[in-house]
Amino acid sequence: MFTIIKPGTKIDFVGKMRMAAIASVITVIICAILVVTKMNYGVDFRGGAEIEVKTKQRLSLDEIRQSLEKSGLKGVTLQTIGDEAENEVLLKVQADPHELNVVAAGVEKTMRTDFANAGVEIRKVDVVGAKAGKQLRVSAFLAMCWAFISVMIYLGLRFDFRYAPGVVVSLVHDTAIVLGIYALFGFEFSLQTVAAILAVIGYSLNDTVIVYDRVREHEHKYPGVDLLTLINNATNETLSRTIVTSGATLMVTVLMYLLGGGAIKDFFFAFSVGIVFGTYSSIYVASAFTYELDVFQKWRKARAKQTA
Amino acid sequence: MKRSWWYQFIFFLVVTIVSIVTIIPTVFNHTEETKYPIKSKVALGLDLQGGLYMILGIDFPKAYRDEITAYARKIEYHLKDTNNMVTTLGSLDPSDITDPKHEVILAAGSDVAKAKESIKEYFGTLIRLTSEKGNVLQYGLSAQVRTQLEEQSSAKAIEVIRNRIDEFGVTEPEILSQGKDRVIVQLPGVKDIERAKELIGRTAKLEFKIVNDTIPGAQIAQWMTKVKDAGIVFDQTKETYSKFVGRVNDALKAELPVAYQIAFQKTVSKVTNKVEVGAPYLVEAAPRLTGDDLQDARVQIDQQKNEPYVSLEFKSSGAKRFEEVTGSNIGKRMAVILDGNVYTAPTIQAKIGGGRAQITLGSGGFNKVMAEARDIALVLRAGALPVQLDFLEQRVVGPSLGSDSVHKAVVASIIACSVLFVFCIFYYRFSGVIAIATLVLNVLFLIACLAGFEATLTLPGIAGIALTVGMAVDVNIIIYERIREEVRRGANFYKCVEAGFAGSYWTVIDAHITQAMAGFCLLHFGTGPIRGFAVTLLIGIAITVYTSYFVNKLFFEFYMDKVEGQDLSI
Repeated sequence: MFTIIKPGTKIDFVGKMRMAAIASVITVIICAILVVTKMNYGVDFRGGAEIEVKTKQRLSLDEIRQSLEKSGLKGVTLQTIGDEAENEVLLKVQADPHELNVVAAGVEKTMRTDFANAGVEIRKVDVVGAKAGKQLRVSAFLAMCWAFISVMIYLGLRFDFRYAPGVVVSLVHDTAIVLGIYALFGFEFSLQTVAAILAVIGYSLNDTVIVYDRVREHEHKYPGVDLLTLINNATNETLSRTIVTSGATLMVTVLMYLLGGGAIKDFFFAFSVGIVFGTYSSIYVASAFTYELDVFQKWRKARAKQTA
Repeated sequence: MKRSWWYQFIFFLVVTIVSIVTIIPTVFNHTEETKYPIKSKVALGLDLQGGLYMILGIDFPKAYRDEITAYARKIEYHLKDTNNMVTTLGSLDPSDITDPKHEVILAAGSDVAKAKESIKEYFGTLIRLTSEKGNVLQYGLSAQVRTQLEEQSSAKAIEVIRNRIDEFGVTEPEILSQGKDRVIVQLPGVKDIERAKELIGRTAKLEFKIVNDTIPGAQIAQWMTKVKDAGIVFDQTKETYSKFVGRVNDALKAELPVAYQIAFQKTVSKVTNKVEVGAPYLVEAAPRLTGDDLQDARVQIDQQKNEPYVSLEFKSSGAKRFEEVTGSNIGKRMAVILDGNVYTAPTIQAKIGGGRAQITLGSGGFNKVMAEARDIALVLRAGALPVQLDFLEQRVVGPSLGSDSVHKAVVASIIACSVLFVFCIFYYRFSGVIAIATLVLNVLFLIACLAGFEATLTLPGIAGIALTVGMAVDVNIIIYERIREEVRRGANFYKCVEAGFAGSYWTVIDAHITQAMAGFCLLHFGTGPIRGFAVTLLIGIAITVYTSYFVNKLFFEFYMDKVEGQDLSI
């Protein structure tokens, strides 16, 4: 039997809980600040236009800039994307909402006509009105809120209401950190990011439920043992599974990130980051929160008794 | 083997065979013509195969203006037909954009009360009298007409766009409404994106208007210089043609005769290929006939000049109206206007019966004119859009980007899966082989389900699949770690396997139900990409529970039962 985690391992997870909680709170606050101040929203959410062009011959950005200026097109920023050899340029257009279509069409046309010799291929054009972008943001946010609420209700009914808030806190924790890392590295927040966040939430949720499940099992098996010990034992018992699963999935997502090409690169980057923090959060955030909630409840009960 | 095992095995076998049969059209990329009993397959989304995605917004203020103008013309006809009263059309008051009003001016000395009574009787609650000053009556649309316009516009627009796209020939277009003022158009795999965009965006408003020739050409020329001096020049890259025409008319509003407007004959320069503004015409604001009166439109070729033109045939009511209009306007010119652009303005020589007319397009390269004539005939046949549509959002994905990314992603998945499989065998030995078998079956069932539902696979959808596979791997690991725990306690192998599966049952079920709850919320409250993710996730969850738990158990039972006292390789 080949094992990574030796059976009977006893790591004192709970002892380090306070430290971890402080570290988590600080990280989440930093991430939230980064998201608010530095997040680079993609065209899907901000509105605007993006044109992706691939050429056979190499074009310098200056050359393109000059040609666009000559055609009287302003507010276009240029950036090379993908591999060096691919000769791909991304043109981002910012203009008044009602002029956006016309300017984007103008840029497309200028590229086609002025650089016809260089073998221009328009690979992608995205034009999104600011209103459409806002709607998308709102609907994504609402969908997530409802998802959190329904998960809380299910866990409350199936497990115990002490468990429910911990899950949501850990999911918010993971989302904040993934978004924070996005903002930190200056990656663009796009529709793909939304898909990745959803996958991360799904993964973290799964992980948390499995640790909870073990805690619940022990609760029935060893009645009278305090919650702290229960959590510690459950975490240790599921540790082998946690490490193997996270390791295996992480290996796959990192490979996909390295080899999958531009279209899915962002997605698997976010997913990989999410797996690491999702695993951490099911031990240190969800369980810790559940424990603190339990302590708080007991304290309230005791106080109620005293006053009565 | 127990009898219940055999029942389960037969069920599993049937599911597998059905799945294999179902994914054949997807795997071998069957076309419509391929002879195979099953047609449905997984369609690739726009982001994967390329194509055009647009959100169009409906310009309601313009729709209201057009509607009330049309009613003003109807009032004029009605009063003439029933009471023989002569009226002229007054000006349009667009100050309230949601409720524009139009004036109708009765000839001096008319019986105003009688006219009002007659209009009320005939039009009922469709329009309402908003103000009156002597012989000038001003009408607005009733609330009922406006709501009707709002409710029907997107439905009608969808119908018209669908007709046009069907004539254009795109497979599996998707056209749907979002809210009451938006239309989403998705055309996967479209090659000629420019032409598709033009066809969809074209309002195809055909109008017949009488040209005012009493005002001398010198006066019109003077107006044009004034407009030019005011800096209103047409620039293709900055604004649309119809916006430019709108600006010209706004600038000259005070000087133009009431109920008249300027329209231009748009020409395309042969040298620079740019749209140029041609001769100006002073035409009536309210059309005499519109595209609604049309029965058919086709391309024909003038044999003498070898020029294509579009021949029009009116419906019987339209033909009657055409006859009347031509009869009472002999000697004047009639402008044929399509989307605000004067195509031709022939002088009416005589009363024209039979309800036929034509749009001549001039010369300028036979093929080019022919293509234009065909497009015009097509949009006229397919119907005019009831309202002006603005492009709010459009996405074009070049076909090569799509195929490149799919190719790379497939190669990466194969490598990643191989590594995962090697790991499984290394870590779990023979049990790892069973795990691999269930993972492969998992993906097989998932694709078969997507093919069966004719689902569209997009990038977020692939994200859903990735999460599903991740969870399937996890289910295997949960079960196997449980079995190992039991083995360490030193029980007999068969008992270990049984206890391992029993102990992980609720863990697996709870984890998947929680996931499904979240998935349902995303499906119900999310839009576009989020829903794509939710659909594959939900299907994936159901399949994972079946494959990774029940099929896994089936395999293990067979494995343990094969030889008495079977050793367990885990």
